[in-house]
Amino acid sequence: MLRKGITGSFGAAIHGLNTPQLTDGVINRSKRMMLDTLGVGLIGTRTDVFKKALAYSKLFRSDEMSRVWGQTELSLPPPYAAFVNGIAVHSMDFDDTWHPATHPSGAVLPALLALAKTLPRPPSGLDLLLAFNVGIEVQGRLMRFSREAYSIPERFHPPSVVGVMGSAAASAKLLGLSPAQCAHALAIAASSAGAPLANAATQTKPLHVGNAARRGLEAAQLARMGLEGNPDILDVSGGFGVYYKDYGPSAMEGSSSTDFRWILEDQDVAFKRIPAHLGMHWAVDAALAARAKLVAAVGNFDLGRVRKVTLRVPPSKYVNCAFPATEHQARHSFQFNASSALLDNKVTVSSFSRAHVDRPALKELLSKVQVETPGDNPPSFDQMYCEVEIETAQGQSHAARCDTFYGHWRKPLSQEDLVEKFSVNASSVLCTEGVEGVIDVVGNIESVRECSILNAYLSMTSGEEEQLYSTRSM
Amino acid sequence: MISTLQKTIRPVWAVRGLHRSAVEDLKRPAPEDTVTASYGKFISEVKPQHLSPVVLHRSKRMVLDSIGVGLIGSTTDVFELVLRHCQHMYAPDHISSVYGRGGTRLSPILAAFVNGVATHSMDFDDTWHPATHPSGAVLPAVLALSDMLPANSKPSGLDFLLAFNVGLEIQGRLLRFSNEAQNIPKRFHPPTVVGTMGSAAACARLLSLDHSQCGHALAIAASLAGAPMANAATQSKPLHIGNASRLGLEAALLASQGLEASPLILDAVAGVAGFSAFYEDYVPQPIPSPDADGHVFLLEKQDIGFKSFPAHLGMHFVADAAASVHNLLVGVDHGTVSQAKVQEILLRVPKSKYINRPFPESEHEARHSFQFNACTALLDGEVNVQSFSPASMRRPELLALLSRVHVEHPKDNPASFNSMYGEIQVTLVGGEVLRGRCDTFYGHWRNPLSNESLRKKFRNNAGAVLPSEKVEALIDAVEEMDKREDCCALLSHLH
Repeated sequence: MLRKGITGSFGAAIHGLNTPQLTDGVINRSKRMMLDTLGVGLIGTRTDVFKKALAYSKLFRSDEMSRVWGQTELSLPPPYAAFVNGIAVHSMDFDDTWHPATHPSGAVLPALLALAKTLPRPPSGLDLLLAFNVGIEVQGRLMRFSREAYSIPERFHPPSVVGVMGSAAASAKLLGLSPAQCAHALAIAASSAGAPLANAATQTKPLHVGNAARRGLEAAQLARMGLEGNPDILDVSGGFGVYYKDYGPSAMEGSSSTDFRWILEDQDVAFKRIPAHLGMHWAVDAALAARAKLVAAVGNFDLGRVRKVTLRVPPSKYVNCAFPATEHQARHSFQFNASSALLDNKVTVSSFSRAHVDRPALKELLSKVQVETPGDNPPSFDQMYCEVEIETAQGQSHAARCDTFYGHWRKPLSQEDLVEKFSVNASSVLCTEGVEGVIDVVGNIESVRECSILNAYLSMTSGEEEQLYSTRSM
Repeated sequence: MISTLQKTIRPVWAVRGLHRSAVEDLKRPAPEDTVTASYGKFISEVKPQHLSPVVLHRSKRMVLDSIGVGLIGSTTDVFELVLRHCQHMYAPDHISSVYGRGGTRLSPILAAFVNGVATHSMDFDDTWHPATHPSGAVLPAVLALSDMLPANSKPSGLDFLLAFNVGLEIQGRLLRFSNEAQNIPKRFHPPTVVGTMGSAAACARLLSLDHSQCGHALAIAASLAGAPMANAATQSKPLHIGNASRLGLEAALLASQGLEASPLILDAVAGVAGFSAFYEDYVPQPIPSPDADGHVFLLEKQDIGFKSFPAHLGMHFVADAAASVHNLLVGVDHGTVSQAKVQEILLRVPKSKYINRPFPESEHEARHSFQFNACTALLDGEVNVQSFSPASMRRPELLALLSRVHVEHPKDNPASFNSMYGEIQVTLVGGEVLRGRCDTFYGHWRNPLSNESLRKKFRNNAGAVLPSEKVEALIDAVEEMDKREDCCALLSHLH
């Protein structure tokens, strides 16, 4: 069944959307996303996977180079800057999550900042904000083309499917491509989409976001040079639909139409307080609450007196890991996150270090954990819950349930807490001037004349980063 | 040889200023019972002596054909475009050769990319069964990597051929994991699925990575695989092969740096898709270890198809059928076919949307059009490189014939290159009906091109870009490859 015109409508919208269409609600939400993304990206430059990707990317030079975040003087060709910065953003699974599920910002912001550096006239903050929102919007639209996208994924990792399309759209917007070129950018990007879920919970997962950013940028650059793909890539069978089992696309309404409404206006993102898969946040909140009940009853938490811990979670194999061996597996383990919360009364960045993962006490607790997947707990970030029940040796039971963790789109982080998360993350790499500079620029980005100033702040490293590099084991 | 290569690779990284953290002694994992581990083991353990004479012979023919189509492909628009794109990015020491461009060098990854694009730019490259274009995904990467290795440790011709064959073998094995792969594809373009994996395997072999790294190279590559069929018959299709080549090389390089990925990428794990994500049905099998008993490469049993003209493989069936009708019409004196004599043309072909195009508008569409290729062969007696030029495509006689074509999809004509046929039925104005049918065109694996025909194709292709001395030198270099100490001779003649 051939329905033409959908791809064309996307090309037209990417080209035609303009700054007057940005509403206050969307500006506010997308600025929060930008800030959070930069913070997690900065702390992510300390990770092993980032270092490997950086070493690899240093094979390349070009006439135009773009900054690598959190480094004083390091630049790479724009696609590779987008690559490594995108990897940094997703390296600790600390970045934003949307509904339907994907990590939208990490695929887009690194590409835009890399591209911005190459333009003859530096874009204004508003240009950047617009392009960013175009990239987010396209992702949201594409995910609504299937029912499959609404559940926790099983086949393809969503950022690798829609992220590269969003990056292509955003880059095409920033480059000012024609409607036809915007459509071709999407088509070219589609041939770079789709990575299997099995690489989640491994060191390669962050590359899914890094590659989405890089290859979307490349798609836009190639489209600008005149490369063409299938102009009906979103319409035809054998097109973008190959990544989904059910696929029903629809056109994007004209940007001048009064019907146009940004998805972000109605559907916010979730920001993470813990560098782990989103599902873990329910488990941690429930575990902390159950622990509090136990402590209220008996005075303290004693591992020796815990007989069994039951987790009631949605069915999702790739985050069901009884004994994680690596930090990546730990970030994708209901059992690990609940146990860490019970043992330490908190879960933080350092909970995933080698030393913490290997603790005998933690392993002992893990051996007491059982997982159940009740029928009423659907694998959807919009509807799932987590219940933690602690049974003591004395036969007492303390349980708590979390339906909506703090940071979820139904219960958003306060602005203060969001900025606090950014400050803690950014301070691991930047000096105070850099940290505050970024907060200031992003906070007022609609008034910023040239967004190149952002890159300057992102390179203001603190002197101690060399020492921290060697002592911190991420 | 293995330890020498490993030792010399480290100084290369150091010269590039790469930070390489101290290499811990990798603890060899106990042999795991997974499909993925069996692949890691095979790639790292297979040796040149496992290559049989038949496999050597067939794969050298593939190397020759692939270079030839790559050379002529360097004259296309799409090649020019991606080359310009890549020239914005270069390595501190420009190293790797670009087909047909003497003054141009690129970094290895980008050379693999543009040469891969060249190879597939005209749809002139080899096709295997189950369907993919195996050589274009592997050869450019292996060439680029060979250029990259230091002068005193270039791979021998045999090492080069081994890596190339590993790249083919892995692709062939992966294609046998599903029934879906047996038919003309509908969802993902096969070179983007298995080609990337083959390139990663070949490069891992050439870099002499250990079991575990070979496994990770495959897993990293899987996250770079997969492109939709809809971009076939467009200018982007050649990038599918270019990207397969470059991304497979990238995966191997990242694996050599220690990047890790899923150790179960090839295995079937319910609820978490690995490589299986690209198929609707998927049953993986381990690959046996190439021990003392040797290893039978798939190429031994299943030969490759080489194309006589630059178009999708399905076109060759209808072109052969139509050419036979052309001969009936013109008789022995080779006159011309007049379109005025033709009332109606019926084509009986398998059902496949992306090669069913009544009025192709671009050269890319024309290479994927049963109708176009049948009518061209009917008119001219053959299809060749020039048939896809704008002038040829615009011919009124051709357009007249195209407007008289009907297509049928008989139930006994399956969408499989191994079992399909192409049938043409031409009804003349006088009422006479002429028929032609082809189920095995010349160049199909069941009716392989002779060595003379293959060399003729190579001379036509390479000669479009290189002087005849280099053309002949390349033919010799490939022929003698397994006997040469290093592959430098081959590399030096490519431009």
